[in-house]
Amino acid sequence: MSSAQLEVLLQTLISGLLLGGLYALIGIGMTLIMGVMKIINLAHGELMMVAMYIAYGLFTLFHLDPYLSVFIAAPALFVLGVLLQRFLINPVLKVDSILPENQVILTVGIGMVLANLATVFFTSDYRSTPVDYATKAWYLSDFWKGSPIELSLSFPWSISFLIAVAITIALWFFLAKTDTGKSIRATAQDNDAALLMGVNVGRMRVITFGLGSALVGAAGCLFIPIYYLYPDLGGQFTLIAFVITILGGLGSTVGAIVGGLILGVFESLTATYAGMGWAPVGRFVIFIAALIFIPGGVVSLLRRQKWGR
Amino acid sequence: MRRFALGLAVVFLVCLFSSSLFAAETFNLVIPLPLTGKQAKFGEMQKRSYEMAAEEINAKGGIKKKKLVLSFEDSGAKPETARAIVEKLIDVRKQPVIVGEYTSACAKAVAAVAEERKTPYLVVASADDNITQQNYKYVFRQNAVNAHYSDGVLDFLKKVVKPQTVAILYESSAFGTSGADAMVKDAGKLGVKILLKEKYEAGSVDFKPILSKVKAAQPDVLFMVSYVMDASLLMKQIKELRIDAKLFAGGAAGFAIPEFIDNAKDAAEYVISATLWTPQVKFVGAREYAEKYKAKYGDYPSYHGASAYSAMYVLKDTLDRAKDWSQDGIRNALKATNIKTAFGPIRFEDKEGYQNQNFMDTLVLQVQKGEFETIWPRQYASKQYIYPIPKWRDRK
Repeated sequence: MSSAQLEVLLQTLISGLLLGGLYALIGIGMTLIMGVMKIINLAHGELMMVAMYIAYGLFTLFHLDPYLSVFIAAPALFVLGVLLQRFLINPVLKVDSILPENQVILTVGIGMVLANLATVFFTSDYRSTPVDYATKAWYLSDFWKGSPIELSLSFPWSISFLIAVAITIALWFFLAKTDTGKSIRATAQDNDAALLMGVNVGRMRVITFGLGSALVGAAGCLFIPIYYLYPDLGGQFTLIAFVITILGGLGSTVGAIVGGLILGVFESLTATYAGMGWAPVGRFVIFIAALIFIPGGVVSLLRRQKWGR
Repeated sequence: MRRFALGLAVVFLVCLFSSSLFAAETFNLVIPLPLTGKQAKFGEMQKRSYEMAAEEINAKGGIKKKKLVLSFEDSGAKPETARAIVEKLIDVRKQPVIVGEYTSACAKAVAAVAEERKTPYLVVASADDNITQQNYKYVFRQNAVNAHYSDGVLDFLKKVVKPQTVAILYESSAFGTSGADAMVKDAGKLGVKILLKEKYEAGSVDFKPILSKVKAAQPDVLFMVSYVMDASLLMKQIKELRIDAKLFAGGAAGFAIPEFIDNAKDAAEYVISATLWTPQVKFVGAREYAEKYKAKYGDYPSYHGASAYSAMYVLKDTLDRAKDWSQDGIRNALKATNIKTAFGPIRFEDKEGYQNQNFMDTLVLQVQKGEFETIWPRQYASKQYIYPIPKWRDRK
């Protein structure tokens, strides 16, 4: 392998990992909701879009750095998630209907309403937050003068990645160590048993939906400095979150993290070695392969090693 | 009493006469346009431009002393609606000439109707090649076709850059693919080797994998066909990876609109792009039109507006010269058009398999100090081009 080829490979892996970290954060929110409520939240991407508009608004009005707006957008999304769960999804959960999955259909509807509201209020123009550090990067040759290859590490991508990791660790801590976290996990494992043990299952559902929304909201704030924004952006990310959820194992946080990283690296590798037009194909190949070969997701493999949750 | 009756009769006659006189003094033109839906932005810009031109023409005495009265019908960028509008215009209102529409799909539908009913149709801003490739006698087009869009860029490459190799990145849509294919053909003519031709999915987040491949290939020129947000992301990530091609070129669209500079910021510097028209271009009346438009509506128009504005002058010129205002009279006069407009010189030629097509010099823009400047062809340039461009490492 020549040094040029090595450079391409390493650069691809770097981008893949950074992208994967962000994907993981999007996936975790969906998988958390999946675990507790047993429904796929198909409005997930649209919730991210809402958070991005909040970050965009704060940036244009108050010049607030998109990374700082995590502290505003994530709580706002938590509230939005709680309201959606409380007043829209919960009532539908209680109703018997011919379609067993009508809550899922409801989330599709919520997504459409959010996307169209955004179109009404912000028009379908593309928006972005042109931050000063958008193209800042570290270069290997700056640290190691005689380096035979040149690698770069983008500043905003790395920051987004690090914040995503920090949020993930905080989430893990919350789920593993706090009472509420433990109750959420109990509800996810066995609804009825949790109920019998005195866990307020209804409340846990509301909190979980809020938490899932807040997570994807945070992801939105991390995405906007490196990407851009328009009302219909949600679908694409809902899809990514869905693939990650399936790949990681439904409802597993560890699975979502691993799934996100795998997807990110896989997409980057396909882009480099098969052509970027093949990236969406690769995404679905992974999706189908996960369904066929590891139906329990990555987490089922980990669990066999007594490692998963 | 008799006097009163007589007076009434006189008044009545005068009214009748003046109204018939008034009718004879106007030329009514209904223009089909998209005023709702996704393309409404461009339809609106064209509507304003048509109106500005009509006002100017009327202020100078109209067309053969007749006042030009415009009205608009919304096609919503739907071919079937456009078709119905034009059928009504020709069959019911007996309008002898059709001007307008924006999307290629609509223009195609309208062209078919116009040809069938032997009514001249002037295409203003639809670029699909085959609109003027179907041996239509009555269809005229004043804007450049897709295949010739990057002529200016090619000329610039041939005369200034003289590249040995090129890499092409394009979005996987009809627009991106046709742009990239045209480039492949043209590169063949110039004898430039194509190192890489890769498509990507519009809306991608991370272009770095594909860009690191471009970097390893070390092309002289990187040619990209993208819409605006992809264009900005591409340039930002190119800066990040420090890909030092001798020149970065965009195939119009995403690289030629102000949002590109707003988003890519300093990464946009020195990028060149094809375009049909710019507010600073040195065509007679271009600057005046652009400034007037800006004063009135707060923003510079794009070529869509300039073409619409000029279409009214083409129409005036045609009607002035036409022997009679029948469909064939106008058609023959239109065929003989040879005028200079704010959109550039306009002549309808039959060549290269096109009929009644205006072949125009397409322009080349370069981003210089955060502004678009016209740099090629030389006679229309607003600034001298900057080439060679500095390496990323040395910028700032």
